[in-house]
Amino acid sequence: MSTASLCLHHLAEEHHALEDYQGGVPRWCKGCGDNAILAAMQRLCRDEGLRPEKTVFVSGIGCSSRLPHYMRTYGFHGIHGRALPIAEGIKLARPDLHVFVNTGDGDCCSIGAAHWIHAIRYNMNITVLLHDNHIYGLTKKQASPTSPIGTRSNTTPRGSYLDALSPLTVTLGVQNVSFVAQAVDWIPESLFQILTAAYRHRGFSFVRILQRCPEFVGSMFEPWVHDPQRMLMLTHADGTRISPALQKIYRNQLAHDPADINRAREIASSEDPIPVGILYRNPQVPCYEDLRGAGKLRTADQVRSALDGEFDKFTVWPQ
Amino acid sequence: MDSQLRSQVVFHLTGRVPDDAGAEQPLPAGLRPALLAQYRHLESIRHDFPVVFARGPGEYVVSLAAAVDGALRAAAPQGAQGEAMRKRALHTERLIRDAVAKGAGGTLLQAWDAAVASAGTDDAWRREMKIVRDALAVDGELAECDSRLPARFLRHAWAVVQREKVRAARSRIDALVLRLEAILRADYARSAVALQSANLQQTFGGTHQALFDFAKMSQLLSPAARQGGLDSSRRARIEWALRVLREQAFFPPPGDAGAQEASNDRFTFDNVPAALESYRNRLPDMLSLLKALHLAELEAEGQFVEQLHGPLFERMQSQDFTAADLQFFPDYLVTLGSDAPGVQADLGNALSSGMPVKVLLEVQDLLEEAAPGQGRFSFGMRGGQLAFMAMTFGDAFVLQSAASNLLQLRDRLQRGLRHAGPALFSVYAPADGESTLPGYLAAASAMQSRAFPAFSYDPGRGSNGATRFSLENNPQPEADWPLESLTYADQDLQAVTEELAFTFVDFLLADRRHSQHFAAVPRAHWGAGLVSARQWLESPPADPSTGLPFILAVDDADLLCRVVVDERMMRAAQRCREAWHRLQELGGIHDSRAEALLARERALWAEQRAVEAASLAPAVAPAAPGDQPTTAAAAAAAGASAAEAEEVPNPDTAYIETLRCSSCNECTLASPKMFAYDQNKQAYIVDLKAGTYRQLVEAAESCQVSVIHPGKPWNPDEPGLDELIERARPFL
Repeated sequence: MSTASLCLHHLAEEHHALEDYQGGVPRWCKGCGDNAILAAMQRLCRDEGLRPEKTVFVSGIGCSSRLPHYMRTYGFHGIHGRALPIAEGIKLARPDLHVFVNTGDGDCCSIGAAHWIHAIRYNMNITVLLHDNHIYGLTKKQASPTSPIGTRSNTTPRGSYLDALSPLTVTLGVQNVSFVAQAVDWIPESLFQILTAAYRHRGFSFVRILQRCPEFVGSMFEPWVHDPQRMLMLTHADGTRISPALQKIYRNQLAHDPADINRAREIASSEDPIPVGILYRNPQVPCYEDLRGAGKLRTADQVRSALDGEFDKFTVWPQ
Repeated sequence: MDSQLRSQVVFHLTGRVPDDAGAEQPLPAGLRPALLAQYRHLESIRHDFPVVFARGPGEYVVSLAAAVDGALRAAAPQGAQGEAMRKRALHTERLIRDAVAKGAGGTLLQAWDAAVASAGTDDAWRREMKIVRDALAVDGELAECDSRLPARFLRHAWAVVQREKVRAARSRIDALVLRLEAILRADYARSAVALQSANLQQTFGGTHQALFDFAKMSQLLSPAARQGGLDSSRRARIEWALRVLREQAFFPPPGDAGAQEASNDRFTFDNVPAALESYRNRLPDMLSLLKALHLAELEAEGQFVEQLHGPLFERMQSQDFTAADLQFFPDYLVTLGSDAPGVQADLGNALSSGMPVKVLLEVQDLLEEAAPGQGRFSFGMRGGQLAFMAMTFGDAFVLQSAASNLLQLRDRLQRGLRHAGPALFSVYAPADGESTLPGYLAAASAMQSRAFPAFSYDPGRGSNGATRFSLENNPQPEADWPLESLTYADQDLQAVTEELAFTFVDFLLADRRHSQHFAAVPRAHWGAGLVSARQWLESPPADPSTGLPFILAVDDADLLCRVVVDERMMRAAQRCREAWHRLQELGGIHDSRAEALLARERALWAEQRAVEAASLAPAVAPAAPGDQPTTAAAAAAAGASAAEAEEVPNPDTAYIETLRCSSCNECTLASPKMFAYDQNKQAYIVDLKAGTYRQLVEAAESCQVSVIHPGKPWNPDEPGLDELIERARPFL
């Protein structure tokens, strides 16, 4: 669209308040970290001027996946582990939509792991929020792939036996990775900044958000919530910059160039302190929708004849 | 003064050999500057020419040598067999280069076939050359560096850019047509007509029609037809936009080469008035198309608001076109000769008209005499001045180059063609027959000698001269004249290497019209009294007899000789150097103002240092770095700690760290009068007295991220205060 067209569009643009993006009343447990993610998303939609009818949130199954219900935009509450292929289909069919995915550590890293790996490789222009609370919360406390070793749960009463999977290092290891960041729900300003950068990145933007689950693993992140020194804030001119107010609280900072993937992998491996910021960004990686020419124009007649052809393959003709 | 020297001095001063010197010594045949001796057999040298105007994707122009190299990389195996294939392919390449230099035309593949056929070799050779031919990644017309090259080169580059424009424009237009059609189709599908039983029946395949009762279906669906639909004004707008988009004549269907070529012809002109008239005639259609595009984009998004947009569309005029608007349309390509009458005025009109125009200015003669005549050359002043004049327009892209350098500047050239605004390409290609050198060498030596330096002015690269102006591609841009080494055998057959400058007079030597300004010096008189033209130009001697300027040249037999240059040519060379100095300054080289400022700052700095040194002299030696903080650092640290001290909150006062609030709703739901969310949905204390100290302490206890600090109670009469103060202690 040309600059003049954009100006003409802006004439009729409606400015939305944060409340305009509020859907139903959140039904998360008391103090749930998902509230902070919801607030940051609503702020992003308001500040980026996203039109509700042009925005869609897609989710799988889990506490995190309830988020589309609380956004007054389009939403698709899908099936377990399948948020990403649904989101990819939406983006292919409607490249003009802003597509966000809300998924959890069980939804994405366990049952949906295959889709996750390939979605990274396809690098479609969608923004993925991994709400990682290290536990299955909706089904009342079972160990997930990201539960730290020794986590006691209904399925691991003697403590989990395996080291936790790191969604960051996995993502950074997949071909065509283009954007990886980590945020925590208890630093809302940083969370908002990172989500904004993820949204603006053209490609598959993967944001792992460490999210508190006070109901089932209340003490999981306590040490980091209450000790700002145990948070490692990544800063860079090409990444995120921390506001002066936040700098006074979180003094443990590290300058990290998001173009450096090897350093990103090193930082991603750190569990304590927890790194927060943009680990990797490469805007040069091509998007799948661009490569396969999804923008190719098809007339109504072409679409009709293609569909007829497909349907005819399966039609059982009456004798 | 001996008679020979006197005769040379007279020649230098007057350009004539004195009558008493006997017969004038003729210049040796085929004389050329000594530095060009090694390029005598140009067809055997793999240089930039001929070039291939590639038809397909990738680089739009490549040299023949690069095309063959690419094919050999793909086709020739490693080892001896591959080496043999490479040798034969290079021989074929040489045959092609030779043929093109002699005027052969056609495409690369045609020339390849002709060269292989002319070699008359065995089948094995032909098979090998067929393999290399099949591996050639590009094909297209071949072009030599001659007087026709600039027009052919620019037309090809321009056509490539137009093709891109057509592709982008058609993609935008066709997508909008589909979207508008979809709106009309959807509207029809919901209309009363579409929902009549007969029309419903037509939408079904024939096989299952008997299973449906279309009358009932029509009855069931017809209420939908009564729920609105497109109003008449919106329908009219959409239909108008669709008509304009479908009937536009600016962009032919992509992939139709014939239509594209015909369209290109309609935008190509050899004079400015005709181009301007054509542009004026097309303005109404351009306006309609732009309106239709904007309107279609708004309608497709459902964003058109009659009250807002209607008046704007009505008032839209072609005078309001922005550079971005014009960039959408095809560019006009105008080719002008620098010696055409009225070219200066025409060019000014074209560049200031707002027309999306790209102008090629063909400069064919750098040695045309200025109006008074008598050897005062304008050396490209017309072309050069026009290029300078174009820079004053501010938004015009300007590129000046010799034809020999066009391949090297192909990216810059295309950048100019994509520039959102007018562009001028001033290119020097000598007229055929005026130089004793082949076209490529004649053009290259014009650039090498600063007679026609390359430069570009790109408004898209920034807002100031430093970023916009570039002297790149000129050899040794820091120097007055580029220096090259020449190795030759002396009379004793010993190798001698000399550093020679390639000056303006070297360039002049190859021009047939000016041979009378040079006189060969017999070897016996090479001694005192002669200085190189470069030295002469640096400090012209007051007494001509103490320093006659000469240049080194070679004749047809590659024998080295010295040639004295007359004073008028040397004065022309001085003016050429001055013009080069002006260009250098524009390019930030030897910038006289910057150098003066630098000298002044250096003097000031030295003065300050001297004063400081004098004041420090009796003092004790300064502490080693790191022993103690500097004054500034200490002050900064003190300031920082003071600021921190100021910002430490008072533990006796209730407050919330709003920045860290995670929006969990606990406090706002428990005490909505006491707590509220700010614009970013983060909590703050809206009214402390609206609740009790107990509520405040309970809120602090329920806050998962511990950002509520209750402070001290404000009402001493509140019951249970002792217990509450104890509970509040962890959160102070």
